[in-house]
Amino acid sequence: MAVVADHTRRRTRRGPQARREARIGLLFVLPCFLLFLAFRFGPGVAGVLMSFTDYTLTGGGKFIGVDNFTRLWADPLFWQALKVTVLYTVLAVPGTLIASVALALLTRRAFRGSKVFRSVFFLPVVTSLVLAATVFVWIFSTGGPWATFVSWFGMSDESWLSSDTLVVPALAVVGVWSRFGYGMLILLARMQDIPRELEEAALTDGAGPWQRFRHIVLPQLRPALFFLAVIETTASFQVFDAVYTMTGGGPANASYTLVFQLYDAGFKYFDLGYASAIGVALFVLTLVVAVMQRLVIGKDQ
Amino acid sequence: MTAPTVEKAPTPAPDRPVRTARQLRREAERDVVPHAMRGTRGGRVVRGVLLTLAALATIFPFYAMVVLSLKPSAAVDFPGSLLPWPLTGEAYDTVMGAQDVPRWLLNTLVYSIVSVVGVLLLASLAGYAFAKKRFPGREAMFWSFLSMVMVPYHVTMIPTFAMIAKLGGVDTYWGLIVPTLANAQAVFLMRQFIQGLPDELFEAARLDGCSEWQVFRRIVLPLLKPILATLGVFVFLWHWNDFLWPLVIGQSTDMRTLTVGIASLQQQNVPLNVVLSGSVIAFVPIFAAYLVGQRYFTEGVTASGIKG
Repeated sequence: MAVVADHTRRRTRRGPQARREARIGLLFVLPCFLLFLAFRFGPGVAGVLMSFTDYTLTGGGKFIGVDNFTRLWADPLFWQALKVTVLYTVLAVPGTLIASVALALLTRRAFRGSKVFRSVFFLPVVTSLVLAATVFVWIFSTGGPWATFVSWFGMSDESWLSSDTLVVPALAVVGVWSRFGYGMLILLARMQDIPRELEEAALTDGAGPWQRFRHIVLPQLRPALFFLAVIETTASFQVFDAVYTMTGGGPANASYTLVFQLYDAGFKYFDLGYASAIGVALFVLTLVVAVMQRLVIGKDQ
Repeated sequence: MTAPTVEKAPTPAPDRPVRTARQLRREAERDVVPHAMRGTRGGRVVRGVLLTLAALATIFPFYAMVVLSLKPSAAVDFPGSLLPWPLTGEAYDTVMGAQDVPRWLLNTLVYSIVSVVGVLLLASLAGYAFAKKRFPGREAMFWSFLSMVMVPYHVTMIPTFAMIAKLGGVDTYWGLIVPTLANAQAVFLMRQFIQGLPDELFEAARLDGCSEWQVFRRIVLPLLKPILATLGVFVFLWHWNDFLWPLVIGQSTDMRTLTVGIASLQQQNVPLNVVLSGSVIAFVPIFAAYLVGQRYFTEGVTASGIKG
């Protein structure tokens, strides 16, 4: 019986059966694929092509070679935006990683309340940065909580948001606050996989907590840290929501980021070709940094 | 026969102390860390202090947001206005009445809910096809999904906007929603999950005479419940918190979502308590959902790796 059934199935599977399966497969995949083609893949390619045109919303679309890029190269605003974006990334990414590691270590062992702490630390991750920004504006105001806090360490109680040197660090503080819980959870999951025997062996050899962290835990976390560094750097390059809400790029463009410039070019001046060129620059920057991080952090793998 | 020598002692009611002791033992068993690795008593105190400080710093913005939203508009001084009294709901009256918050809430709900349903349906269909069906172009299609992972969203956003504008979709729900429905990450997660399901199940249903749609509807979808929940929470959160796309596509006041609307209040010199009451209104649904289904939030956000 079974043999017969098996036999018939195998025979019918080739001809009409396979064609039927192909038809069903296409039918199931096409709604999603066509939308993807129309609104992600197509625009992705078009975005690169558009950066070589003078496309605006009202007209244009003529091929102008690399004019947009030479214009970008000569645009002081672009260099300012690049500087701000890189500075933000240099502050926010290490800050986030250090806070993630520290809090993962602190909440690693189960103790009464450890779950509550983890949920508290994850809460900012699910919170919109726009909403958070509305209260952070007050936190960073003159004489506000943050200014009072830093004045304990001898700094003036001016508002960081109106200082052109401190506005980016202030945004980085918000960035770290909103992101460290995510890194903490990723690292906690990795820490569960560290073989307990390793640490126990180190313990019997007399290694202290710092040595156990430095020589056992940290090497095991390397791949996770690499992953986080890439994710956080990519996200930092695209920082926009908090900047738009908290500073509007000010004071005097001191917190003007790349995505802000892209937004202004595209949706304030409708200079879509130029905005696309900024997008391409962002893309290239992301790729370069991903490769660099691969070389530096991931060199052992 | 004589009566049993020992009268069976009445079993102690499983009251609280007994259970707690057992629970404690279980907990200890689960966390079999050598005593020395748990750190000294002093170390544990330091850890407790550090964690408490970090937790207070993390919570503080939420506390300030809620308390200041319940203050009169003049109360912005620090630390005086952080005291939880006197409280007034006047900012909420203003924000729900004079501002367009109810409309923005509706827009956000439409954007989030329609997108969740659409993304989950499309991604489960596509994920099922990628995982279990052979069809021409399967590899090419899958690679095209994969190829866009590294491309920043902002590169695709500009041509998408130009296209939607040409089609007259600016300031419409469809213009807002349709471009976000094909979610590559959702497709990857679905495909990965469905690959782990045994073929025999589908095969058996097919032999029983189920059509392909029935197999999907009655066999595949129920099995996808855990991943649908995880992914659903992530997609919902992503749309609820999304900012840049609603900002460019919703140009009239009526078509703003909550994030866009609140950012606009922030920029119009609206009093702080009114802006913050808007923020609280936008945050409360997420917070309530987080309290109830926290597991799905952590799984959803970590599995997909990205925050919107």
